[in-house]
Amino acid sequence: MELRTGRNKRQVALLLLPGVAMFAIFTIYPIIKLFFMSFLQWDFGSMLSQSFAGLENYKAVLGDETFRIAFANTIIYTLVTVPGQMILGLMAAVFINAIPRFRVSFRVIYYIPVITSWVIVSLVFRYVFNTEGMLNYVLTNVLHLTDSYIAWLDTRWGGLSVAMMLGIWKGVGWNMVVFLAALQSVPQELYESASIDGCGSIQKFFKITLPSIRPTILFALVMLTIGGFNVFTSIKMITGGKPMHQTETVLTWMYYKAFNTGEFGYAAALSFVVAVTLIFLAVLQFKVMKNNEAN
Amino acid sequence: MKRIVTKKSAKNALLYIFLLLGGAVSVMPMIYMISTSLKPNGALYEFPPHFLPTAENITVENYAYIFGQEKFYRNFLNSAFVALTTVLIAAFIATALAFCLARFRFPGRKLLFGLVIGTMIIPGTTLIITQYQLADFLNVTNKLWGLIPFYVAWVIPFSTFMIKGYIEGIPRDYDEAVYADGGNVFTVFFKIIIPLSSPAIASVSIFNFLTAWEEFPWALTVINDNLKRTLPIAISGFFGQHQFTQWGYVFAMSVASLMPVIIVFICFQRYFVSGLQSGGIKG
Repeated sequence: MELRTGRNKRQVALLLLPGVAMFAIFTIYPIIKLFFMSFLQWDFGSMLSQSFAGLENYKAVLGDETFRIAFANTIIYTLVTVPGQMILGLMAAVFINAIPRFRVSFRVIYYIPVITSWVIVSLVFRYVFNTEGMLNYVLTNVLHLTDSYIAWLDTRWGGLSVAMMLGIWKGVGWNMVVFLAALQSVPQELYESASIDGCGSIQKFFKITLPSIRPTILFALVMLTIGGFNVFTSIKMITGGKPMHQTETVLTWMYYKAFNTGEFGYAAALSFVVAVTLIFLAVLQFKVMKNNEAN
Repeated sequence: MKRIVTKKSAKNALLYIFLLLGGAVSVMPMIYMISTSLKPNGALYEFPPHFLPTAENITVENYAYIFGQEKFYRNFLNSAFVALTTVLIAAFIATALAFCLARFRFPGRKLLFGLVIGTMIIPGTTLIITQYQLADFLNVTNKLWGLIPFYVAWVIPFSTFMIKGYIEGIPRDYDEAVYADGGNVFTVFFKIIIPLSSPAIASVSIFNFLTAWEEFPWALTVINDNLKRTLPIAISGFFGQHQFTQWGYVFAMSVASLMPVIIVFICFQRYFVSGLQSGGIKG
């Protein structure tokens, strides 16, 4: 609406002020500063005199073997956990939507992993997957599937698998709730006319349900991809990046470089590589979904 | 007719079996955590491990230890103070931003909304270095209340985005009626927008509470005084503090810190769901 009086304009400005100020000081300013920092030689050795380094930090990041491992780990984590959560969450939503009773109870139970804290569930998973933990006991002494205990947390793929299992376990409930809402907004007439045409449940799912919930799928895809790149606490608590930085992700490696070895310029450049990758992925996902819609 | 009914109930039985299996997987780690917290605090892993404590070794000694420490109450109150304050400030600020973005045209409006969306994409942890420098410059490192402005700034984009979507669904006729009666922008905001968008504010607030209650990397980085720590940092400190981890204490403390969250969730689960749903459908 157009503001006619000066008083109303002042009131709008007053309402905007706290949010804009907080946002500018605590989010935008750190982003801009980080951008400049990524072009500076800035580490513990050069705390007081930072010199311009051009693209050296970016070269160092992209040429760093551990960064490549961390980046690959993050991509793999995202590629496994995002579809994993979405498929299981959608299945749970379809099933819950189809049952006549106890819908709320199941919704609550499936959502419990979402509200538990990352620190706590990471420790539980670590306890279960520890070499002397419950899982090895069941696999070896009860089911006799292996002869000796497997050191899950001491290898790159073992440690990553545990983190990915945790990611999927914790994320299914969120997807379930989001998809359940989408399912309930699909017009019932579509299903009725499909029944008249002789479509079975599975055909209906692929011909009606999936196309109708496309915007929700895109929403979940974008949010979960961001979430996948955000993986930090679980890796830090479960493997700590061990062995030999083989299970680092981009954020744990950035944190290590910044706060353990003090290479701020490097860490800043790394942060920007991650941010640009994510923005690129988000735009790509929107484009692909838009194109599909047009066809 | 009868055949159709039996076919349908067979299908339902199958659905319930699948859902029960999934539900069991969902709660199993929690149950194992509670069960371990009720076992004696052994330094080593028990062998053979039991899923549930046996009748003769069930004990509350871990809880007695945790609740006997003053530190625990401090950590608990710290988390509660930070989370509740973050929620209150963020609710007001985000609703005000959302209201202005949804209802008025002002210079920089598009830029502001673009930045809100853009910062939702960038992981918060990537900013940790420069935010740390800022906290250092403002002299708020190692101060409990110093966590709050950073938490508020983190949750503002998502909160604003969700509340804005909700406000856009409130008919403008209500606003117009207030203006026609001689009301101003503040009257509309306090008398119409805040009460009518309270479901969205409530659901966003629950998420913000969880975010602040369980936040790990930032609190770990800026707070190094034991008594100023929040619960997640205190729990992670127990882990690996000595040569071995005292799992009984870790899990007793975890249960104690999860209980308020679970209780809040079960009481307000309707809001959790409705908040997510409005965001999901709109895309």
